[in-house]
Amino acid sequence: MKWIAYIWIGILLALTAISVPQCLNSGGETALFNATGQQSTLDPQGPLALNQAKIFYVTLWVTLFLFVTVGGALAFAIWKFRMRKGDDPNFVPPQSHGHPLVEMGLVVGSAALLVVIAIPTFGGILLKERPPVMEGEEVLEVNVTGYQWWWGFEYPEYGFHTANELVFPAGKVVKLNLKANDVIHSFWLPKLAGKTDLMPGQENKMWIQADEPGYFWGQCAEYCGDSHAYMLFRAKALSEDEFAAWLEDQQTATVVDASIGDYTPVSTEGMDEALALTGAELFIENCARCHSVDSRVQTMGPNLAHFGSRTSIAAGWLENESENLVHWILHPDKVKPGNFMWEGFPDPNNPLGPPQMEGLMDANLTEAQAEAIAAYLYTLK
Amino acid sequence: MSTEQVTYGTWKRPLKKTGLVGFLTTVDHKKIGIAYAIGALFFLLVGGVEALIIRLQLMAPENDLISAQTYNQMFTMHGTTMVFLAVMPLSAAFFNFIMPLQVGARDVAFPRLNALGLWCFLAGGIIVNLSWFFQAAPAIGWFGYAPLTARQFDPDIGTDFWIIGLQILGIASLAGSFNFITTILNMRAPGLSMMRLPVFTWMTLVTSFLIILAFPPITIALAELMFDRHFGTHFFDVPGGGKPILWQHLFWIFGHPEVYILILPAMGIISEVLPVFSRKPLFGYPLVVFSGAVIGFLGFAVWSHHMFTTGLGIVATSAFAFLTMLISIPTGVKIFNWIGTLWGGQIRFTTPMLFALGFIWMFMLGGFTGIMHSSPPVDAQQQDSYFVIAHFHYVLIGGSIFALLCGIYYWFPKVTGKLMNDNLGKVFFYTIFIGFNLAFFPMHILGMSGMPRRTHTYKAEMGWNDANFWSTIGALILGLGIAAVVLQVIYSCFKGKPSGENPWDARTLEWETSSPPKEYNFGFTPVINARDQVWENKYGHAEKKMGKIAPGSHGIHMPDQSWWPLVVSIGLFIAGMGVIFHGQPMERLLPFLGESDISLFHMLVPGLFVTLFGIYMWALEGPGGYHLYPDPEELVGAVEPEEGSHGGH
Repeated sequence: MKWIAYIWIGILLALTAISVPQCLNSGGETALFNATGQQSTLDPQGPLALNQAKIFYVTLWVTLFLFVTVGGALAFAIWKFRMRKGDDPNFVPPQSHGHPLVEMGLVVGSAALLVVIAIPTFGGILLKERPPVMEGEEVLEVNVTGYQWWWGFEYPEYGFHTANELVFPAGKVVKLNLKANDVIHSFWLPKLAGKTDLMPGQENKMWIQADEPGYFWGQCAEYCGDSHAYMLFRAKALSEDEFAAWLEDQQTATVVDASIGDYTPVSTEGMDEALALTGAELFIENCARCHSVDSRVQTMGPNLAHFGSRTSIAAGWLENESENLVHWILHPDKVKPGNFMWEGFPDPNNPLGPPQMEGLMDANLTEAQAEAIAAYLYTLK
Repeated sequence: MSTEQVTYGTWKRPLKKTGLVGFLTTVDHKKIGIAYAIGALFFLLVGGVEALIIRLQLMAPENDLISAQTYNQMFTMHGTTMVFLAVMPLSAAFFNFIMPLQVGARDVAFPRLNALGLWCFLAGGIIVNLSWFFQAAPAIGWFGYAPLTARQFDPDIGTDFWIIGLQILGIASLAGSFNFITTILNMRAPGLSMMRLPVFTWMTLVTSFLIILAFPPITIALAELMFDRHFGTHFFDVPGGGKPILWQHLFWIFGHPEVYILILPAMGIISEVLPVFSRKPLFGYPLVVFSGAVIGFLGFAVWSHHMFTTGLGIVATSAFAFLTMLISIPTGVKIFNWIGTLWGGQIRFTTPMLFALGFIWMFMLGGFTGIMHSSPPVDAQQQDSYFVIAHFHYVLIGGSIFALLCGIYYWFPKVTGKLMNDNLGKVFFYTIFIGFNLAFFPMHILGMSGMPRRTHTYKAEMGWNDANFWSTIGALILGLGIAAVVLQVIYSCFKGKPSGENPWDARTLEWETSSPPKEYNFGFTPVINARDQVWENKYGHAEKKMGKIAPGSHGIHMPDQSWWPLVVSIGLFIAGMGVIFHGQPMERLLPFLGESDISLFHMLVPGLFVTLFGIYMWALEGPGGYHLYPDPEELVGAVEPEEGSHGGH
């Protein structure tokens, strides 16, 4: 019977051996530990994430040292003092009760190791709270609002809103003011900074900085209900000139005059104009009560004024391609379960009653209609 | 052994020892301990199945085995079940069965209160899990952060099941803890000073203090949440002026000590098992005891390290970070002393010893990752990522569960009088050890590469596929191992070979009595003259050997059984269901009851009436009790009690 047990343990060990290289190279063909993956915390691209990664390595080295010394002592003790074949089973080893000097020495030693961690930790806490900005230096501020399940970004100095894609200049500190509209969310852009929570009824602050222009992935890190896993976002760090151009773009209207309800696109260049105009009508009928196409006005849903210039849809879950967009408009419930775009906004005082504002569930859009809306949205660049 | 029945109380009390009535009315700490263990192992399997469903969903990217909502229910119920219904009650099972034996007591101080604890544990566990049968399992996480738990965001009754279930489980924990504290402080055998107590009993004491200090905040938080959801208050409701952060503080000032409530009993078990199988006393006993108490104290001063990302500010963040780092010192002390215990001994690799050694390794790794996220800048990246999942499963499975399985293998002969097959146990240990590491080590990598927790799916291009796949394979192996252990326990109960009194050549007092122990635990009152009394009885000097005092002509006074603990908890169950279904149509509860709404007078008021009636009758039934006379051969070498002293209690 014993050999069955040995074979079984052998199989388990073999499985483990196979898993190790696969897990270490997870995802990236080249990178160990998936260190360059989209959300890797070990591939910092800005000073704050770099500081946090460095302190992580400090803790890693300290604990590795402990592992080698304490673990080594443990392994040695287990090996050295094991009961060997032929040992007297009634043997009574010396009944020693302890050694105060050894014990106190170990306490002092471990306290000293903690100081090694504590000092950079304190520096890291200060850095997170106090961005390295010169006095009088102009700093871009962005108001970030968490909604179930998307992100609103407001640029208060310029008076416009965008959604799910944070754009900012590279090489500069950007201050983020974090708020939540409904439940708690958490803003996590791993390559630039650790997370900070968005709390309803409270404003939190954080800052980010990207060393170089780049494209980053972020995700909500606090459980926020049904579609928490689909609450992603993207961030773009642009060079100074590109960012200035982007700012200007965002402040230009993409429709004729949203304030009087004229949602006709300003330009349909290179697009099917008739389809886009049909789409505009459908948009007014089905979408406009929640989605603003005026970047100066934020309503209950993500602002779509410059939708055509974004790289992702559905809060970072899908790439911004026409096929994905049509699917998203037709089946928001399948892309994001529990989504208000499908079921409508519930009445906060009677959440099980009829919705305050109806969703697409009752609109019965056809595929052709969804395509028209998509065509319209792509004119908003 | 002969029995003489004396009825002291006002009412006639149930006498039957066997069958259903014997089980429902029992006050015997050993039967209650076994019932706790059966319940806890059942819920361990339930929580394990939930865990495997979670892992199967995450096995591949964009998997659709279960929906997002079901997944969210799974991780909520998995966490709640494992913390409150598996690990805590399994620890309570050992407290109940072992601790009175270790202090040489006949039973716990309040036997009926002990029964109430058991029935409330079962009532709470049933309520939490009933939610599945009403298609309304909670989906709020085991931490239930406001305001996601508000009616506005969570209109169904799942959260109410969770609130009421936890509230009733709190009664169970509190009743048990008061009982254990009183027992340890007042009912120790003569000569058993505090610094001679077995470390497991010490940890029972510290854990019980943690429970009675940590449960009031969660009780208040749950009551406030219940009022928010049912009676229109605004404790956590932002538009109404409430503060969601209040919930986090109340929850974690309970939740962090709770972590130590889960691990201190485990450390106690390890501190018993290592000396036995090294054949040496525990190295640095006073320091191990003291560090356990320090962990208990500091455990109340670190709760905000769960909230580093909520914007606490520089001062609070630094203070909680440094206090958290401090707590690693007493924890490290324990590990050093365990190694010191092994040093110079003669180590026997029995199944309990393998689990104990596995515990040290795994708990050490979990402790290292804990040191990492005691640093807020590091935690900012690791918080709510899979790194944290790896960390706390290393301390909760590699720590608590390993130690509890160790305790099962170690004390099984004492509890049942039968042996578990050691070779089989070793195979299961290696299965669990390898499966566990395969399941959870890759999660460190997942966390550092940015995978957030509580997400039911992930995109294929994120590079998390392989680690998730292997983690699922590991989880399946781990699940297989745990299930095998449970099956072996059941098998050995019936088919195990007889073990005798002390099969391990163990050291503490519980091994002095028969296996399984008689109803009265010890025929004589033990007089303790050494820390490892049973070891000294065999190997020690004459002056360190144990004395025995016979019960005398009086016999041994045993507590009577009672129906009322069961009645009280049934009342609480009914009342709790009344709150859960408050405002729901009656047909939700039972299909034929019609559509009218359930008011508080339908179930809550009658339930509370039953509870109050039960308490009243409990008070009136009087102390009761009867006398037992042990066989003369059990009393060989025992001296008669002094004239006038009241022996036998």
